[in-house]
Amino acid sequence: MTVTTVTASPSVLRRLWRHFCLMLGNQPALSIYLQPLLQAIWPGFMPGQFRGQLVEKSWQTANMVKLTLRLSRRWPGFVPGQHVLLSLQHNGKNLSRPFSICSPLSLWQCQRQIELCCKVDDKGAFTPLLAQLAPGSRLNISVAQGEFSWQQPARPAQFIAAGSGITPIAAMLLSQRHWLAPATLYYRVRGAENAALLAPLQQLAAQQPLFKLVLSDSRFAHSDNFMQQVCANAVAKQVFLCGPAAFMQQVEQALLQAGVTKESIFQEQFGPAALPKPDADASNPQHQISFQSANGSKLFQAPANASLLQSAEQQGISPRFGCRIGVCFQCVCDKVSGQVRDMRSGALSGHGREQIQLCISQPVTDLVLKQ
Amino acid sequence: MALSNEHYQALAQELDDVKQQVQAQLGEADARYIRRVLLVQRISAISGRILLVLGFITPWLWLLGVLLLALGKILDNMEIGHNVLHGQYDWMNDPLLHSRRYEWDIACESGSWQRTHNVEHHSYTNIIGKDRDFGYGLLRLSNDFRWRLRNLWQGGTYLLLSMLFQWGVSYHELAGQRVFFGKKKTDRQTQVSDSELKKALFGKGARQLLKDYVFFPLIAGPMWLWVLSGNLLANLLRNLWTSTVIFCGHFTKEVYAFIPEECENESRGHWYYRQMLGSSNFTGPTWLHILTGHLSCQIEHHLFPDIPARHYPAMAKQVQAIAKKYGIPYNSGSFLRQYSTVFWRIMRYSLPGGKSAVKAL
Repeated sequence: MTVTTVTASPSVLRRLWRHFCLMLGNQPALSIYLQPLLQAIWPGFMPGQFRGQLVEKSWQTANMVKLTLRLSRRWPGFVPGQHVLLSLQHNGKNLSRPFSICSPLSLWQCQRQIELCCKVDDKGAFTPLLAQLAPGSRLNISVAQGEFSWQQPARPAQFIAAGSGITPIAAMLLSQRHWLAPATLYYRVRGAENAALLAPLQQLAAQQPLFKLVLSDSRFAHSDNFMQQVCANAVAKQVFLCGPAAFMQQVEQALLQAGVTKESIFQEQFGPAALPKPDADASNPQHQISFQSANGSKLFQAPANASLLQSAEQQGISPRFGCRIGVCFQCVCDKVSGQVRDMRSGALSGHGREQIQLCISQPVTDLVLKQ
Repeated sequence: MALSNEHYQALAQELDDVKQQVQAQLGEADARYIRRVLLVQRISAISGRILLVLGFITPWLWLLGVLLLALGKILDNMEIGHNVLHGQYDWMNDPLLHSRRYEWDIACESGSWQRTHNVEHHSYTNIIGKDRDFGYGLLRLSNDFRWRLRNLWQGGTYLLLSMLFQWGVSYHELAGQRVFFGKKKTDRQTQVSDSELKKALFGKGARQLLKDYVFFPLIAGPMWLWVLSGNLLANLLRNLWTSTVIFCGHFTKEVYAFIPEECENESRGHWYYRQMLGSSNFTGPTWLHILTGHLSCQIEHHLFPDIPARHYPAMAKQVQAIAKKYGIPYNSGSFLRQYSTVFWRIMRYSLPGGKSAVKAL
């Protein structure tokens, strides 16, 4: 009996507290009710997020900027390989994007700092803002998220990274203190000048006999050779894979053919998904929609020239809806990934997480939606 | 049909352009504005509640507390709650200010209000039989409704409705769905079950009652009666104010109503046209606009319900010019003038006869 009361009480207390907060301020937490006051004291404060200050900004390559952030003491830490959501306010809008942490655990433990390597896309809505940040600026970051981590360092491992995919893998390798088994990193880049985080990895390779670094230059080494090289010794090892979506698909297939089991491949997906399949009718392409709601999730194909609400209803899904002309906001839902077009203005959305109205949105890419 | 199809199309284009101009400049200034209103709201609500307890020093502090708490409740209801729930600030992507998540300090659960107000009232504004906001099923406001005996004392009904306005709003959807009384209408579409409606009504209502009439009086100890009566008075002031503002928006003397047949498969231009005729504005200083949540610019609000309301007064000048160009009446006047015609309408139609509000232009 005592055991049950001990385990049950925190959740009961938490629920009571939530109801109490709802009663007092109509918000599920007091920090949300007090947000306007707290923001007056700490500009940019957001409940559920942590504040970080930009200590240093340095360019790793021509388009990769490394941000060193000093975080609040309350931030609960991370497992190397995880990412954080970086949020900032621009022109009144809250924007956020995920970035992998690329610094070793020790930097956080000793100095409360983490480093993020961000590829700056000049046409993007977010990363150019990062490039403009001055040291001392404040940012909001989330708790660390993601399942991509090196959990069994006693087993031989192989790491495969391409381009900015090096960031979570660098954090894993640089954080390792007690090397128990050999590990090899295959790092594919367009020339050494485009290889971010190369110096600390080379240093690690020089100091640690169990770690081997293999750099592959995509301008000279053919992709088939790279695949052969990667697959040659991969069997019976844990394989960690991170890079652009098309690259990851290619490597994964090669690995599976070479006899590596699916369970021993660990990967981290980021950036826009692979390009749309070319088999659809060019004038009216179909997009794959994954629609998740309280009633479960459903996958369906939606044409690019119909509203998402219409397409969903044709599939027998009934999202909340109202006026169907973009006025009442009943059909607002979370877009987790993908891009949509506003049917009224023709404006394109971003690729990241944001809220859209189903009745006036058409798919431009494959989408993941949540309502 | 008062305008030709080409005119409706041109009207829609011109009004769309007005909207686009404002939409293009939404940004930092709007975010700063709504955050400042929120800050003032929090400060006035919290300091109001503290001053109610300090009434033992001098009752004047208590009175100041009542006024501040009422101000907090009015700002939360109008300039913040009403506008946020319309999705005016969804573009900011701020969880606190998003239409899906915002919950306001009145008895009505925000989801229920969004269904009846945003969907029913804003799509079918002043269509007899479809927009139940035209008289709320309680008041006879034109000769389009049959006179009944109970209309004889609708002046009293109106006063009562105004005093208990938040409860009227919260019961509105359940009345329409005939959850407790009346025969279910077969043609009514519903997305929410009766039990969910009841849960929202009782849940949110209980929370509000508990806060204002149990929790805060209890923690005030010996000052409990002062706090309780102060909360009651603040809620009453807010109810009277919101009711008055909203009545001035749709029930003035010159306002138009419509029949369902003329709105079937209507064009965007006709929808705009109907919104202009079915609403009325009143003029006043900036602080009055803010206290009404800019519903003093009801016409602009009905044309552009998802544009941040602080832009309405500037848009009103453009809209008025467009109305003049197309010969559409633009119903505006001082607050007192507009309100007196509302009062006249309620009293006039408590007696049989009168004119229809469905009239040719």
